[in-house]
Amino acid sequence: MSNLLYVGKGTPRTIEVDKVTGRAIYINDLKLPGMLYGKILYSDYAHARIKKIDASKAEVLPGVRAVLTGHNIPDVRVGFLRDQTVLKKDIVRQFRDEVAAVAAISPEIAEEALDLIEVEYEELPAVFDPIEAMKEDAPLIHEVDARGKPIRTNILPLPWKFYAGDIEQGRKNSAYTVKDTVSTTWVNQCCMGTSGCVAEFDMNNDLTFHSQTNVVFLGKQRIMEYLSSIGMRGRNVRVINPVVGGSFGTKLDTDIYEFICILLALRTRKPVKILFSREEEFRALPPRQPAVFTIEQGCDKEGRLTFRKAEAILDNGAYTSWGATTPSVMVMPMSSLYRVPNVSFEATCVYTNNIYCQAMRGYGNPQATFAVESSMDELAEEAGIDPAEFRLINRNQSGDVTPMRLKITSCGLEDCINSVKQKLNWSEKRGKRKGKGVGMGSLIHVAGGARVYKSDGHGMIVKVDQNGHIDVLDGGTDQGQGSPTIISQMVAEALGFRPEDVSLTLGDTGLCLWDAGTHASRHTFMAGNAAVRACEKVKQQILELAVENIPKVVKSGFRRKKRNDPDFVEPDLDYTLISKPEYLDIKDRMVFPKSDPEHPFFRIEVSQIIRDALHVGTGESKVVMAEAFYDPPTEMLDRELKGNLSCTYAFGTTGIEVEVDEKTGEVKILQLFAAHDVGKAINPILLKGQIYGAAYIGAGYGLTEEMKLENGRVMNPNFLDYKMLTAKDVVPVEPIVIEPGDEDGPFGAKGIGEPGLVPTAPAIANAIYDAVGVRIKSLPITPEKVLAALKEKRK
Amino acid sequence: MVDYDYKKPKSLKEVFGLLKKYGPKATLIAGGTDVMINIRNRELSPEILISLRGLSDLCYIRKNNGYHIGALTTHRMLEQSDMVRAGLSALHDAASQVGSVQIRNVATVGGNICTAAPSADTAGPLLALDATVALEGPNGRRRVPIADFFTGPSETVRKGNEVLVEFDIPEEPGHFGSAYWKHSRRKAMDLPLLGIAVGLALSESQEISNARLGLTVAAPVPIRAYKAEEFLIGKRLGDDVLVEAGKIASSEASPRDSLRGKAWYRREMIEVFVPRMAKLAAERIRGE
Ligand SMILES: Cc1cc2nc3c(=O)[nH]c(=O)nc-3n(C[C@H](O)[C@H](O)[C@H](O)COP(=O)(O)OP(=O)(O)OC[C@H]3O[C@@H](n4cnc5c(N)ncnc54)[C@H](O)[C@@H]3O)c2cc1C
Repeated sequence: MSNLLYVGKGTPRTIEVDKVTGRAIYINDLKLPGMLYGKILYSDYAHARIKKIDASKAEVLPGVRAVLTGHNIPDVRVGFLRDQTVLKKDIVRQFRDEVAAVAAISPEIAEEALDLIEVEYEELPAVFDPIEAMKEDAPLIHEVDARGKPIRTNILPLPWKFYAGDIEQGRKNSAYTVKDTVSTTWVNQCCMGTSGCVAEFDMNNDLTFHSQTNVVFLGKQRIMEYLSSIGMRGRNVRVINPVVGGSFGTKLDTDIYEFICILLALRTRKPVKILFSREEEFRALPPRQPAVFTIEQGCDKEGRLTFRKAEAILDNGAYTSWGATTPSVMVMPMSSLYRVPNVSFEATCVYTNNIYCQAMRGYGNPQATFAVESSMDELAEEAGIDPAEFRLINRNQSGDVTPMRLKITSCGLEDCINSVKQKLNWSEKRGKRKGKGVGMGSLIHVAGGARVYKSDGHGMIVKVDQNGHIDVLDGGTDQGQGSPTIISQMVAEALGFRPEDVSLTLGDTGLCLWDAGTHASRHTFMAGNAAVRACEKVKQQILELAVENIPKVVKSGFRRKKRNDPDFVEPDLDYTLISKPEYLDIKDRMVFPKSDPEHPFFRIEVSQIIRDALHVGTGESKVVMAEAFYDPPTEMLDRELKGNLSCTYAFGTTGIEVEVDEKTGEVKILQLFAAHDVGKAINPILLKGQIYGAAYIGAGYGLTEEMKLENGRVMNPNFLDYKMLTAKDVVPVEPIVIEPGDEDGPFGAKGIGEPGLVPTAPAIANAIYDAVGVRIKSLPITPEKVLAALKEKRK
Repeated sequence: MVDYDYKKPKSLKEVFGLLKKYGPKATLIAGGTDVMINIRNRELSPEILISLRGLSDLCYIRKNNGYHIGALTTHRMLEQSDMVRAGLSALHDAASQVGSVQIRNVATVGGNICTAAPSADTAGPLLALDATVALEGPNGRRRVPIADFFTGPSETVRKGNEVLVEFDIPEEPGHFGSAYWKHSRRKAMDLPLLGIAVGLALSESQEISNARLGLTVAAPVPIRAYKAEEFLIGKRLGDDVLVEAGKIASSEASPRDSLRGKAWYRREMIEVFVPRMAKLAAERIRGE
C-alpha cells in the first residue's frame, strides 16, 4: 500500500470548476423546448375536510395548460406505507398537503393560477404532540389503512423492538445507574440547491425524468410502479441526474412533487419543470425526524456498562416516509456504541398533524447518539469516573460482535478517544467549571455499505478506448460529495493510469448498472470495491492484448528500420519477458515487463496496444471493457433487528472546548477536534471537507438549528429565522484522521459521509455541562435554555 | 404578477414631482434591500418605484460643526470610514454588522431608518448619538430628533411627500464614547434579538456627565431609556452604578415574546448589555 500513486493524495476536485464558474447545469438551468412550469397549492389547515375545490377560474387563465386536483387524477396511494395520495381530495392532514397543481407557460402564471383555485375547508380537530396523539381520545389522523381497513390508533404499525441479553440481570449487576429524558427536534437539510425535477414523456409514453434523486434505480422502480398503477404498465422510465446541489437525505424518497410533475407532463404532453422556492423547501420537504428518548444505563464498580434501556417516541407527522424507519439506524448506537451486554430499545412512531419526516445525514444516528452520549456522561459522573476514561473502559474493539450482531472488523475508537483527549489537553482542562469546559462524544456508523434493501449491490462499467481514455459508468450519484474525483483516483490507481484519464458518468438508469443508492456513507466503499474488481478485469484484458501485441509492435518497428537502414541488425530480445500477462504491469499508461520496467523496447503505451487490437483489418478486432457488480457479504436485519448489515463500521470521537457566558447563556465553541477512523483516506482534502461540513451541521444541530412549528405550521421558512451557521460563525474544526486500514475497504477505506455530524451535538452538551454544570437535554441548546437552567441551578 | 414602473430622477425636485403625481401608488427605493423583499412577499405592490440612487449628492459623511451623513450613505461606507469609527463608534459597530458585505454595499442608512423596523440596527446608535433627521418636502426642510421619528412598527413621522435627506449628529464636548451591541444568534445575515447602544460622556474624574441609551427590539419602536440615563448622569462610572442602570433600562423596556426571542430573555439581556456597552464606551474614551 505504501507505493500508491494517486490514492491517498489530495487531488483537487475535477468537475467542480464548472460549478464555481457557473457552467454546471443544475435543475434550475435545465430548459427543454416547450417546457411548462408546475406549481403546487398546499393546504391552509393542519387538519381539515375539503368540502369543495373549484379550479374553474384557474383553468381559464391564459397561459395555463393544466390544473390537477385529486378529482381529475387517478386515486392511487403512494409512499412507504401507502398512506397518502398524490393530491388530496377529501382530507388534509398537514399544512404541506398538496391539494392542487398547475402547469403553465411561465412560473408566474402558474403562481397566479394557484391564487385562483378556491378550496373550501371544514376544520377538524388536530393533534400536534405525539404523546397526546397516542391517547385514546386523540383525533385520528388516518381512519383507514392502505387496504381500507379501519385504523383505531395514531400509532404506526411499525413496532421497532430490539432486545439483547437481560436488562434485569444487567440492573442487578449495576453499581450505578442513571435515567433521563432527552429530545431532539426538526431540522431542515438546507441543501444549497432547492428541490426540483423535469418530467417528459415521448409519444410512446416513455418517460425521461430529470431527478435529483440519489437512488436512481429505486426511484425508477417507484415511478414504474406508480405508472403501472395508473394504467401505464410497461412504459419505460429513464431517470437522469442533473448536477445536484446537495441532498443530505432529501433525495432518498420519491417525493410527492415528483409524482405531481410526472402527472402534469402526462396531462400536457409537454416537458414540465417543478422547482421549489426556499420557502417550499422548508414547508414542503420532509425534515429530520424528531424524537424523545428515555434512556437508562448502568455500570458496575469498575465502570463497565451493564445495561442500556431506551424508549423513543417519534413524531411521524401526517404520513410515512423514511423518518419512520430511522429507528432501524438508531438501534445501532443504542446497541453497539460501546460494549454493553444487555440492551433494550423500543421506538414508537406516532401520526400527528405535523410535517412528516424523512432521512437526513446520519439517519437517526445523531438523535440516538445524543441520547446515548448524554447518558454516558451522566453515568460517568455518577460512578465518579472521568468521562473519557469511562469511554475507554467501554470502547468497542476489533473482533467484537455487538449485541446487534455487528461484526467489528477494524476499530480505531481507542485512538480516536485518546487523540481527542490529548489535543484538547483534557486532563488539564476538565472539571474546572469556570465558564470553560470540555466534552466529548463518539459514534459508530455503517461504513461498508448498509444492507437495507435486499441488494446492497453497486455496478460499475469501465472501458478503455483506443485513445487511452477511460470512461467509467457508475450506478451511484454525485450530490456534491466529490465521488467523481475519488473514483477517478481509485480507477487510475487500480489500472495504472492517471486520474485525469478518467471520465465519470453517474446517475443515469439508461447507462449504468444497478446501485442501491448513494446513501448510508456507502459510495466510496462500494464504488471503490467495484472499481478495484472491474479494473482487475480490464487490466487483465489489456495485459493479454499486450502479450499478443507487443511482439508485433516491436517486430514491425524493426522491419521498418530495416527498410530504411539495410545494415540494421535486429537486437536479440528475450521475448519470454513479455510472454505472459502476469509478467507485465501498467503504470502511468505504459505497459512494461515487471522484470525490466525500463526496457527499451517492451515499454509501450496502453493506447497503442488497444489501437492495434482494434484496428486489425480482419474480423477479429477487440475492445477493452469490463463491468463489476459488487455486493458485499452482509446480511439484512432480521425480525429482531439483528444482523451484520455492513461490511465494516466507522468510529469517531468529537472533542469540544466551549466557553459559556453565564450571563447570557451564549455558547462559543473554542476548539473542535473530530477524530475519525476512516480506514484509509482516499483523498485527504475531500475527506476533511466531509468532516468540516459534518461538524458544522452538527454544531448547528447542537446550538442553533430548529424548525419552529406552531400548530403544525412551519413558522421560520427562511434563512433569516432558520439559524443555519454562516461562514462567519467560525467553528474551529480540526479533523484528526486515523487510518488503521480496513481489510474489506477499497485500498483500506471506510465510508465517512455521515459520521462527523453524529457526535457533535452531545459533545457540545457535555462540554457545556463541564463548563457551567448544567445539562441541556433538548436540542438545540439555545442561550435561553442555558440561561434558564443556570438560573434554576442558582436558586 | 409583480409588475411596476421604475423611475430614476436626478434631483429632489423631480422626486417631489413624481411623488405628487403618483401619491400612494409610488414607493421610494434606495438600496432596495427592504423594498424588494416586501414586493416579493407581496406586502408591497407599488405601481411605480422612484429610485433615489440618482441623487448622488445625498451620499456623504462629513464633519463640520457636527457630523452630517447623507441619507443614501451605505452601511459599507460607514463601516469603512475612520471618522465614523473614531467619532461615532456605536454607529460603526452597527453598520458593520448589517447583513453581509453584499447587503452593506447597497443598503443605505436612510432606508434602514425609514423602514422603521423595531430591529433596525442603526436606530439604537443614532438614538444614543442624539441624531436629528432632516426631512425635505416640496415646501422645504424640517428637522426631527430621531427620538421623535418613530411612531410605531414601520411607522414614522415622515410624510408621504417627504424624503429623508440627512442625519445630523452633534459633536459632543469633552470625552465622549459610544458602543452598540447587536444581540443575535449568528455573526452574519441576522437581525438583532435586541440592540443596545450606549453613548457616554465622562469627566476627567470618571464622572458621567452625559449618557444616552438607545434600545431596539425592546419596544414596538426603538426607544431611549431616559430613566436609566437620568440615573447615570452625575454618578461615577462603576460596576454597581452600571448594573443598576441596566435594571432601570430593562424596566423601561416593553419587549415581546416572539418567534425570535422571549421577552424575559430580552429583559435580562438589557440588564447584561447596558453595563457591558457602557464599559466598552468608557474604554473607547480612554483609548483602550
Ligand atoms: C439579507 C438581508 C440582511 C439584512 N440584514 C439587516 C441587518 O442586519 N440589520 C438591519 O437593520 N437591517 C438588515 N436588513 C434590512 C435592510 O438591509 C436595511 O434596513 C437597509 O438599511 C435598508 O436600506 P435600503 O437602502 O436597502 O432601503 P430600501 O429597501 O431602498 O428602502 C427601505 C424603505 O425606506 C424608504 N426609503 C429609503 N430611503 C429613503 C429616503 N431617503 N427617504 C424616504 N424614504 C426612504 C423606502 O421607501 C422603503 O420604504 C437586511 C436585509 C436583507 C435583504
